[in-house]
Amino acid sequence: MVWMRRLYFGCLVMGFFIAHGAMAAEGNGGADDCYLDGWQYSLQCSRITVGKGDTQVKLAVMVSPALDESGEEPLYLLAGGPGQAASDLAILLNKFRKINQTRAIVLVDRRGAGLSRPFSCGIDRNTPNELEVISKSLADCYLQQTTFANSLSSRQTIEDLELVRKHFGHEKISLWGGSWGTRTALLYQQWYPDSLTALVLDAVAPIDTKVFLGASAAEHALQTLVRDCQSDLACSRFGDWRGELEQLLINWDDSAAKKFPDPVTGRISEQPMSLWALQSMIRAALYSPEASAQLPFAITEAGSGNYLPLAGIAGFFSDTTTGMSLGLTFSVACSEELHRISEEEVAADIAGAFIGRAFLEFFSRGCDVWPVPKRPYSKPEPRHHPVLLISGEADPITPPIYAQKDLDYLSNKQHLIVMGGGHINSIRGCIPDLIDKFLTSPEVKLDQACVKDIHRPPFMIGAYGPELDRRGGSDSKGMEQGGSGSD
Amino acid sequence: MSIVDNVLSQQFQALVLKELLEVWRDRRALMIALGFTLLFPAIMIGSGALSFKVVSETNLNIAIVGSDYAPLLENQLHGTGFRIDLLREGIPRELLEDKYDAVLQIGKEFETDYRNLLSPKVYLYVDGSSKSGGRGIQLIQERLGTLQKTIMQQRLSARGIAPQVLTPWQLQIRDVSTPSSRGLAILGIMVPVLLIMALMVCSAAPSIDTSAGERERMSIETLLQQPLNGWQIIVAKVLAVTSIGWFGSLLSLAVLTLSFTLLPLAEIGVQFSAGIAELVAMSFLLLPLALLVAVLQILLALRSQSFKDAQIQLSILQGLPVALLMIVNLSDIKLDSPAWQLTPLIGQQQWLSLLMAGEAIPVPLALAGSLVTLSLVGLCILVGARALSRESLLGAT
Repeated sequence: MVWMRRLYFGCLVMGFFIAHGAMAAEGNGGADDCYLDGWQYSLQCSRITVGKGDTQVKLAVMVSPALDESGEEPLYLLAGGPGQAASDLAILLNKFRKINQTRAIVLVDRRGAGLSRPFSCGIDRNTPNELEVISKSLADCYLQQTTFANSLSSRQTIEDLELVRKHFGHEKISLWGGSWGTRTALLYQQWYPDSLTALVLDAVAPIDTKVFLGASAAEHALQTLVRDCQSDLACSRFGDWRGELEQLLINWDDSAAKKFPDPVTGRISEQPMSLWALQSMIRAALYSPEASAQLPFAITEAGSGNYLPLAGIAGFFSDTTTGMSLGLTFSVACSEELHRISEEEVAADIAGAFIGRAFLEFFSRGCDVWPVPKRPYSKPEPRHHPVLLISGEADPITPPIYAQKDLDYLSNKQHLIVMGGGHINSIRGCIPDLIDKFLTSPEVKLDQACVKDIHRPPFMIGAYGPELDRRGGSDSKGMEQGGSGSD
Repeated sequence: MSIVDNVLSQQFQALVLKELLEVWRDRRALMIALGFTLLFPAIMIGSGALSFKVVSETNLNIAIVGSDYAPLLENQLHGTGFRIDLLREGIPRELLEDKYDAVLQIGKEFETDYRNLLSPKVYLYVDGSSKSGGRGIQLIQERLGTLQKTIMQQRLSARGIAPQVLTPWQLQIRDVSTPSSRGLAILGIMVPVLLIMALMVCSAAPSIDTSAGERERMSIETLLQQPLNGWQIIVAKVLAVTSIGWFGSLLSLAVLTLSFTLLPLAEIGVQFSAGIAELVAMSFLLLPLALLVAVLQILLALRSQSFKDAQIQLSILQGLPVALLMIVNLSDIKLDSPAWQLTPLIGQQQWLSLLMAGEAIPVPLALAGSLVTLSLVGLCILVGARALSRESLLGAT
């Protein structure tokens, strides 16, 4: 049942999950050598004390130095969530090796995340995946650490980043932000434009976009999957599996919930699969092209009473160890996002969406017991830094439309859209090379032709896997896998 | 007269000047020095950069025989690095002999066996003796492995099994090397050997000319009639030969350092960390060795029967130190003990390696080792001087 308890890590927050992910740094104090899971070489780790009294934190800063000391500005990686730690992103260094040749890569665990006094409220992978239990834990946690909970914000994170930049004597920096990290990067750009050279934003959450209204985005991702499945000769045989999903969710009852198998033990789950958890699991699968390629088959099978394939997809998240600190998540989400969403907007967002209120429910219930002060953003001012935007066409939380419609104030931007791509695409196909080229010559327009070579993995067609004797789709050549999925 | 007075004497200074002029006016010696120091590193670095470019940019020609039975495999192989031809039939051995680097053969029964979960076989034919054969195996395995992993995950999912069930543990590698220490394995062996080779090669021609050459020209007899001690003659010759040998090795060092900026070292995770201080230290550490090489080569040439004999002997013997260094490096001998560090040649090689990788050297040991080398130089000078005074080194002209 542990698998189900961990489900919210992958599906209910705006972070992203990548293979390995877990962090375990060694060393403390000055710039010591240390290691992070997912990256085999040592990093230079140091601690910088920020805050006072109850809110004091020793920020964990990890640097992968440049191989060539050519003086290029360093690249800071900003993690998602809010609540994910930069130290979770060490695995990206494998794909960013070329970038790391000429510029240092800096990982800063923001206050309340990862190795910087993680604010998890005791909620971890072993906490039951029940809204009531999580809500109760959050309420107790807020009462015990009110000052710390009230202190955490994007503004504070950006001030800390600026402190780190000055501490290391970096005249200018570039930022890579993933998911919620793009929001942090965009706010940094607003408040410290002179410290910035360029921005790379993957899975963009613009300042003005209400990203927690995620039901229609998730439905859009599902519809894109439907479209791609229909254009695949083998997958199209599943017919109207979107309709079957609708029926499955409508008819989901206690009897079905109690029959759901546990993908880790192979037995029937002791904890029933609630409708909320089922919707969340399907939404989470859409983050990853690998998991979503299994949805048409799994949903069709579930429609005929075989829940094993759906349980197998749930198993994708059973070992997700992203280290999301929910205390931090709620401090930022409740103070900066949830308060600006009206009930009318929610109603419009969930209309016709398979996820319904399930995504927002988690946050609205959490924010009820997490009464942090509101922190509205100012209207973004025009900025002229070179910005590279990266979006997955089928991203269920930050679809490309967000970057297209809410970033007019950026005058110097390029947008890469990965067809059929999920959430976070920086490590897929030629994207790492394009990021490197962009950072080297930010003013040059990138040749985006290679992005078209990134495709969905083959659809699962039967118990044997994908079909081998038919070409996937009309243009399927050279599938590229191993993207943002939790493989 | 004291040694200092001897060294400062006008006759000695004139002798040194004469030896230096003769060495530096010898176009052949200069050509050898410049040729070796400029061309050899350029060829090495050029071939290194070229092979890297070839490996990273050359497409492999792949033939897939029977691709109709599993187009998905063909799809998976498409992309950078491969040029793929689809063939209905063909004999793999002949295809390899024709133009292909690898041939993937898929059988008729593949699809049926795959669907029945019978794990059908796919055959990969390569020519292991060709350069591209090994690379073909690796790249094809990598790409098909990715697809295989996806299919494995789907098959597990279809049965309701989490992927972690088949991952009993995750091995996390912690590599304690640094970019510069990784460079030690490449630069640390290659560069010191090259610098020592430069010393040997650049010193050889002037050593022979100043000893066996002078003897054949009979000018050495005139020299011996001058009011000079035997050791003064040897020292003057050693200084002259050292000047060109040392110059050659310093030029090599400069050319190599510049060349490293052209090599894509960072792409293989290696860093060239030697700074100005390290390069200056390397230059000074080479000086005692340059003196030793010069005096040994002069003694050997003086003992030879003729100019030609001297050329043959030195040609044979100058390969020995390099061979010795290679053997010592490739063997399991631990070279960090003080005894090895005090041994001429091996000591220098160790310090140059460390400095090349941007690491610190044991200064007391380096000083002591250099003194040992210089003592040997002194001893050889005395031996040469005694032999000169007995004319025993003049050999049979």
